[in-house]
Amino acid sequence: MLLIQQFVNSIMLGSVYVTVAVAFTLTIGVLNFLNFTIPTLFMLAGMVGWALAHWGLPFGLSGPMTWPLALFFGICVAILASLLVERLTFRYLKTKYGDSTEHAIPLVSSLGFLLVLENLVRIGYGTDAQRFPGPSADLTMNIGGIFVRIPQLVSLGIVVLIVVGLTWLLKRSRIGRGLRAIAENPDAANILGVDTNRVVPVVFMLTGLLCGLAGALFAVNYGEVSPQMGEDIGTKAIAGMVVGGLGSIWGAVLGGLIVGLTEMMTIHFFGADTVQVAVWGLLLLTLLLRPQGLFGHHSIGKGKL
Amino acid sequence: MLLEVSGLDVRYGRTHAVKNATISVGEGEIVTVLGANGAGKTSLLRALQGAVRPASGRIVFDGKDLTGASPSARVRAGMMLVPEGRQIFVSMTVHENLQMGVYLRSDRDAARDIEAIYDRFPNLAERRDMKASVLSGGEQQMLAIGRALVGRPRLMMLDEPSLGLSPLFVSRLFDLIVELNQSGIGILLVEQNTTMALEVAARGYVLELGSIVLEDTAESLARNPTLTEAYLGGHQNSPSHAAGENA
Ligand SMILES: Nc1ncnc2c1ncn2[C@@H]1O[C@H](COP(=O)(O)OP(=O)(O)OP(=O)(O)O)[C@@H](O)[C@H]1O
Ligand SMILES: [Mg+2]
Repeated sequence: MLLIQQFVNSIMLGSVYVTVAVAFTLTIGVLNFLNFTIPTLFMLAGMVGWALAHWGLPFGLSGPMTWPLALFFGICVAILASLLVERLTFRYLKTKYGDSTEHAIPLVSSLGFLLVLENLVRIGYGTDAQRFPGPSADLTMNIGGIFVRIPQLVSLGIVVLIVVGLTWLLKRSRIGRGLRAIAENPDAANILGVDTNRVVPVVFMLTGLLCGLAGALFAVNYGEVSPQMGEDIGTKAIAGMVVGGLGSIWGAVLGGLIVGLTEMMTIHFFGADTVQVAVWGLLLLTLLLRPQGLFGHHSIGKGKL
Repeated sequence: MLLEVSGLDVRYGRTHAVKNATISVGEGEIVTVLGANGAGKTSLLRALQGAVRPASGRIVFDGKDLTGASPSARVRAGMMLVPEGRQIFVSMTVHENLQMGVYLRSDRDAARDIEAIYDRFPNLAERRDMKASVLSGGEQQMLAIGRALVGRPRLMMLDEPSLGLSPLFVSRLFDLIVELNQSGIGILLVEQNTTMALEVAARGYVLELGSIVLEDTAESLARNPTLTEAYLGGHQNSPSHAAGENA
């Protein structure tokens, strides 16, 4: 019974990993670039949400909707921050050096953004974890002895919706075709009129949305936020993405769930100390046996959507 | 004049790929640019479509100065490039490739124009939902041209479209080029298949090491004894080699 309960919990944890892993894989798939600001965006949504819920909403808003509204603003801040990152790192560097496939510099500068933002939040709020005033704990269903919290169910629903919506966007919409065209052949896309400077911000906007949502889900489900909440989630999401295959959305979904499951099962059987060994062991094993990941392309590291 | 280019220079660092090129294409005219490997033909076309920024020069299309315009602005104005090596999206279906050709169009006729491509190329219609990677070289070239055509260009620029095609496909290709031209589309054709290109073109330019060394009507270029010499331009490429590539 406890095992089933752990399984349910792992799906909830996994869905946070999935959302962040999808953000990573989207940027890799389209721009071939590992965006290190993703953990920060995740943290930013949670911390801004907490700060607003704690210190009061803007525009004099208050009432029972305070925490959802606070998280909504947190997600908006994550999206804006992500667009700012595009402006200040990716676009500037691309226009300056003229080669959008040279990603060492955006990679390093996004790492710089991660450290600056994280430490700014630390200076502002300290390093302590803060309790997030989410929905009360009695929103729990007891299904035959298994406890399922309603917010967890809602979160799972949102994640499913987001992933299905994103897949639809990429496969069926005009902007999605533009993104895939840039992913496969930026040059050919360009001469057909796909404007990189218009399409690339869409990737960053979606990244901000996904990370913001994941941060909000985390705050609601675990009732706690901190300036370093992005570190562990971010690295595990990367592990999930690699297990699933770089650049594959469904790979990131499966990989994120597998990492969540591995984590919960390891805690259950061997205790919390062994989690990192298990997750990263799984990653190394995947790289040895199936370097392209579960759903990835054969050209390793050049994952395309 | 549909397209008027003057004093165009393209540089890649120290390489001076196109030197002071002045060319023009009239409304509904076929103009060819000939030249050996590395002469600067692709650089010229890419500068015209806005894929590389020219170091200097002026590009006027349909009376509008497009010198500093983005590729998308040039597509909107009616310029379409069928790039060297076709550059179709192999991870996409045939249909999605054609949809990329109408990327900037929001009018309802776009879907009808794509259907018209299927009528023109039944091979593509049969494979519409297959990945473009399954197409043969000739079919890929048809797809690349179809993709440009659905953008309703007034000027179509083709970069060595006959390269790697079987002789049957080469003659179909040149028939198609004439047909498109008769429907009113101006054509700027870069070719190494000199004979065929001069057969369909009204005028031609010969590029050698980035400079235009000859400019004449296609008829006189075809009779010009120095053409072969200029065309060879000190490279190991020879007409028989060029013909071999098309076999
Ligand atoms: N992106 C680039 N960076 C640096 N040099 C380049 C680049 N593209 C082309 N060149 C150089 O510019 C010159 C002209 O090249 P270009 O591709 O325009 O010639 P071409 O006439 O199209 O040749 P081909 O018949 O082989 O297609 C060559 O010397 C080539 O090496
Ligand atoms: Mg060329």
